[in-house]
Amino acid sequence: MKKINWLVVIAGAVVGIAAVVLTLLGNPANMGFCIACFLRDIAGGVGLHSAAKVQYIRPEIIGLVLGAFVMALVKGEFRAKGGSSPATRFVLGMVVMIGALVFLGCPLRMVIRLGGGDLNALVGMVGFALGILVGIFFLKKGFSLKRSYTLGNAEGGILPAVLTGLFILAIAVPTLFKASEAGPGSMHAPIIAAFAIALVVGALAQRSRLCMVGGLRDTFMFQDLKLLYGFVAIFVLVLIGNLVQGKFKLGFESQPIAHSAHLWNILGMFLVGWGSVLLGGCPLRQLILAGEGNGDSAVSVFGMIAGAAISHNFGLAGAADAVNEAGEYVVGGIGTAGKVAVVICILVLLAISLLNVQKKEKNA
Amino acid sequence: MSGYIATFHTHLAALLTSRSLSERGVKAQMMPVPRALSSSCGTCVRYEAEEPCFDAMDEDVECVYAIGGTDTYTLLLEKE
Repeated sequence: MKKINWLVVIAGAVVGIAAVVLTLLGNPANMGFCIACFLRDIAGGVGLHSAAKVQYIRPEIIGLVLGAFVMALVKGEFRAKGGSSPATRFVLGMVVMIGALVFLGCPLRMVIRLGGGDLNALVGMVGFALGILVGIFFLKKGFSLKRSYTLGNAEGGILPAVLTGLFILAIAVPTLFKASEAGPGSMHAPIIAAFAIALVVGALAQRSRLCMVGGLRDTFMFQDLKLLYGFVAIFVLVLIGNLVQGKFKLGFESQPIAHSAHLWNILGMFLVGWGSVLLGGCPLRQLILAGEGNGDSAVSVFGMIAGAAISHNFGLAGAADAVNEAGEYVVGGIGTAGKVAVVICILVLLAISLLNVQKKEKNA
Repeated sequence: MSGYIATFHTHLAALLTSRSLSERGVKAQMMPVPRALSSSCGTCVRYEAEEPCFDAMDEDVECVYAIGGTDTYTLLLEKE
């Protein structure tokens, strides 16, 4: 058995370079790529929430899905399938997004933040790993959302089609959509550059099966480090990119679009890790699987978009650390509603985990 | 003795098949599905046996392959 899959390493390296380049071209700091943040921006762009600073139709999401879609078609790997507990997956997508926005980033941005020296991401990674371990515990107990079935090609093409339509409308009639004038949503790379880079990343992610959750899951479950090397490659390339530009800043305080409320960083990523193991992959992976025809993953993505809307409509998302008018450093984090939501989401994951331990395993 | 890989529609089916094979004394190991076999990221069972042991497979088995050289697999069974 090969110990290193170089395609995964190359895909990780390209993602790392892409993240650095996209930040240079205008994306927010330590946010060259972030699936959770960008889905949240799209949710805001189409008016599902009204947080004025995070509204923009991110071409990166569309490019990732279409890159995977085209690559899957070219390689004969496009398979329309679905029917594996779609409603449950929608809820899991929501929970993963709520957790990610408490932390302020998906697992991919967690690695990118680490490459920028943000130690809050290291704290988040502790929660992420713990969440994955809990998910694995339930997998070993017999957790299953049951199998998917082959469906018509039209079903498999739903997310690529919806996003293509959205992209055409966003370019042809931009006034249809909301676009931030300040904050992270207002900071973005040129549309065509962002789309083209994401197409390449999406295609490579499809070939390599790059997955942030899969890296740790396979390491813990099978001592198989192949996917983890992709994770490491992203970190190394982003780290080099930041060091070369003099942007590397090690510490907890004043990190870009991040907070240092440690408990909530841990618990936010705990939700992401646990929920993603139950879904079978991280938010990036869900986009890629949806691109290659997996309707269950498309439903998970729709759930994430709904989760982003819920996060901002009910004030659950984390607020970044900031310096107030008196010049004092104010630790951000989440408010009471966010804290209650995190507890509820943990209970939801527990219920979903317990209720989907299949009987034939319980009796085994 | 030959090497085989069975792929499944669910992780649970892989887990149950791995146990079933082990109970009959077959050396079986769960692992990620090789990329050459699938673009999905599911779990497969790799095992060494005299024959492919189709009767030990869970009902959610997808395919069974005989392992040849590096990244060479011969499809023996495919179930929708």
